[in-house]
Amino acid sequence: MKVQILGTGCPKCKLLEQHAREAIQELGIQVEVEKVTDIDRIMEMGVMMTPALAIDGDVKSVGKVLTKDQAVQIIKGGK
Amino acid sequence: MADCCCGNGETNLIYSCSGAANTGFLADQVMRSLSRQKVGKSTCLAAMGADLSGFVGSARVATRNIVIDGCPVACGRKIFESKGIAHVHFIMTEFGVEKGKTEITGELIEDIAGQVAARAKE
Repeated sequence: MKVQILGTGCPKCKLLEQHAREAIQELGIQVEVEKVTDIDRIMEMGVMMTPALAIDGDVKSVGKVLTKDQAVQIIKGGK
Repeated sequence: MADCCCGNGETNLIYSCSGAANTGFLADQVMRSLSRQKVGKSTCLAAMGADLSGFVGSARVATRNIVIDGCPVACGRKIFESKGIAHVHFIMTEFGVEKGKTEITGELIEDIAGQVAARAKE
């Protein structure tokens, strides 16, 4: 499974990445984390507001910083 | 371009019919005019119909979704209704345009775009 963090590098994008990494650590699973910062790739995925979180290319959250607990639920559901 | 939620502005997304008739062409051109006027960002109605996750997710959190259909078949409205996503809706034939008949000119496009821009945020 690959967790993708979509954002161009603003503070909220970094916070989402941090929460996603904490969630993965809490779940104790081995997943790849990819930071997608290229705006063309972000747009190709249909994301019009960042930050966003996707799992294996399927966008799960758009335009908000998920809490660690929200990220846990989404990543659990994406397994 | 995608907006960053670090900003405080609103995000309006615009979708248009891509039908084969003159009304579909008009809807597309009106969307492009609105995008140039920065009323909102043009995005893809077909992707909404195809249920692509990023597009649907963006529509769900947009400040406003502006859906421009060409004719009363209203494919765009039906896509948004089927997903339960709020939107403001316009049909080009309600602006005095006849499907298959009216010539689409630059003047007509800008006239209707102006009317849509004024009404979209009501």
